[in-house]
Amino acid sequence: MWLIRVNMNDLTSRVEPLPDAYKHLGGRGMTSTIVAKEVPPLCHPLGPNNKLVFAPGIVTGTPAPTSARVSAGAKSPLTGGIKESNGGSSWAADLADMQVRALVVEGQAKKNGKFRGLHLVWDAAAGQPKVEFFDASEHAGKDLFEAFPKIYAKFGDKISISGCGIAGEYGYGNAGIVYNDPAKRPTRYSGRGGLGSVMGSKGLKFIVLSREGSPGVPITDEALFDQGRKKMIDALRTHAVTKPKGALNTYGTAVLINILNEAGGLPTRNFSSGRFEGAAKTAGEAIFEGNKQRLGKELYNHACSPGCIIQCSNTWHNPDGTEAASCVEYESDWALGANCGIDSLDDIATMVKLCNGYGLDTIETGATIGVVMEAGVIPFGDSQGAINLIHEMGKGTPLGRILGGGTAFAGKAYGMTRVPAVKGQGMPAYEPRAVKGIGITYATSTMGADHTAGYTIAPEILGVSGKQDPLTPEGKAALSRGFQAATAFIDTSGHCLFIAFAVLDIASGLEGMVEECNGVLGTQWTTADIGRVGADVLQTERAFNEAAGLGKETDRIPEFMLTEPLPPHNQVFDVSDEALDSVYAEL
Amino acid sequence: MSEIVVDVWLYGGLSKYGRGAEQGSFANVEARLREGSTIGDLLAFLKIPSWERGITFIDGQLSAMPGLQPDMDHILSDGDRAAFFHLNSMWPFQYRHGAAMIRELAEAMQAGKDRGLHHSYGEHESNA
Ligand code: SF4
Repeated sequence: MWLIRVNMNDLTSRVEPLPDAYKHLGGRGMTSTIVAKEVPPLCHPLGPNNKLVFAPGIVTGTPAPTSARVSAGAKSPLTGGIKESNGGSSWAADLADMQVRALVVEGQAKKNGKFRGLHLVWDAAAGQPKVEFFDASEHAGKDLFEAFPKIYAKFGDKISISGCGIAGEYGYGNAGIVYNDPAKRPTRYSGRGGLGSVMGSKGLKFIVLSREGSPGVPITDEALFDQGRKKMIDALRTHAVTKPKGALNTYGTAVLINILNEAGGLPTRNFSSGRFEGAAKTAGEAIFEGNKQRLGKELYNHACSPGCIIQCSNTWHNPDGTEAASCVEYESDWALGANCGIDSLDDIATMVKLCNGYGLDTIETGATIGVVMEAGVIPFGDSQGAINLIHEMGKGTPLGRILGGGTAFAGKAYGMTRVPAVKGQGMPAYEPRAVKGIGITYATSTMGADHTAGYTIAPEILGVSGKQDPLTPEGKAALSRGFQAATAFIDTSGHCLFIAFAVLDIASGLEGMVEECNGVLGTQWTTADIGRVGADVLQTERAFNEAAGLGKETDRIPEFMLTEPLPPHNQVFDVSDEALDSVYAEL
Repeated sequence: MSEIVVDVWLYGGLSKYGRGAEQGSFANVEARLREGSTIGDLLAFLKIPSWERGITFIDGQLSAMPGLQPDMDHILSDGDRAAFFHLNSMWPFQYRHGAAMIRELAEAMQAGKDRGLHHSYGEHESNA
């Protein structure tokens, strides 16, 4: 197993055996450990001292279902704190198959307008991966939909690609890291936190993997691994949310649009209401029905990456049946829809595709546009205006650069007070005033406002079972702590977070996840270790953030949410600072 | 006897019960009921078998989940908005943790195993 270091200062690389101390780490556990150990917390995120780390999860690359996930980590240009952003792609599985447990990009190439690419191949003679550099300058300033086919043409069909778009070249706070999807499109993202800009700042444009000949992930105990894998498959195939033709496979994550809208928790027109009159037209049900009409048949969703049996990724089609965009996730649909007062799926899909092409995070983009719509730059509901603003970002105009800085930056530029962000990261699609538990997670997560920071997992391993009343603020804080730790474990395991839907309700699935990890690593973890392993990751991230100046004072929800009641429930966010502080104080 | 008007939203497959108000993936119906009518009465009026509905909201407050329907006797008020979801919808716990619920559902969750800390209450019911 290998740790690869690429030094962009002098365009050299070292392939090192994985240090023993990192043997049991993967995914987020790996990226956060390396960033915390090696990146000075006060360094400039776009300077030479930041490092960009990629790590496949523990079971990534194995036949474990729904596990082709990779963590990207660095100090975030958006939050100034540590960042892990997770993506699903064959790129993740290929990196794991080449037995690369961590890829660390260090230093910074000279700013001479040139961009480099890395090409990783398996060196059969040496029995280890090898790094080659190539000139990627021709792809600078180009749409990723234009660049990807050229990379495939150069390196062949069997490769996988990660990279940054124009947004990452400009150094935007809302630049994501892109990966290929199964149809070779640039549509899968480690979207959040501006990691695309960390990549761009190093003068690095693409990392191409040619996995051919690589040995695959070694499994220490095959029988145990298989036992775990079967339990996980059974859980995913039977649970109503994750089974074939279940909620996610039929409607995708956008199934949540109508639900949150009815709950009064769908942030609308820059978080000024919890209900959007046009929501139903943009929901997962509308995507399914609309595709049926336009294609003349039912269309179920596809996998973002090899080996996923949940298959939640949708595709929206144009009236003539051609593809408009893949994938319209709940958060993208909301950010560019309800949050901007836009109810046209066609326009939302256009914007999703533009973001994918420019290398922008859809959530941050929509949250930013919502703020400047309120500032009067364009009116709410003006989808053509919103499309133009995304083009401004892509062109790097002065206005585009303000928007590219993200929600908080654009809010400052326009003197706005209703700025939905925590630690500088724009808030996703769940209103904290209507869903207070998620507000606690937004406030306290080491990542800034992050909807994937706290997934619910079996109560008995949260350390709160029976003790805490989930209806009290203290109980909610305790649960959020448990959720965040469990999530850090899943992000380390290499499974997509969506397995949590099934394993919360089907206990054998949870055992399966731990058995898969033990099978690969030879560890003897039990489900009781999930919280401990996850809490270790959180402690590491928290310590980095504190040293970077993001202490508990930054674990707060924006002031307007404490004072402005949100229709239709007319509630404010009323969880006390003490309850928020208890999340990490008692970790 | 006076009447109440309920603003009904039916999602996904349930839109077929929309009494002509279907709009593809949803239906929005105005239901006129006797004062004192319950969710059970509304379902009967719409001819929706209760087992066909899952997540349910009354005026933005969660009132039922698949496999957990303590709202059948909940009395509706004039002007209420009632929303019924098909069984292929979802609302994971972490995204509803702290959201408004009707009293009957809050009590049912509190009394159930793990205080309702699950995603589904149907097939994988541990709450019965
Ligand atoms: S569940 Fe969805 S997001 Fe997760 S791996 Fe599968 S297709 Fe990708």
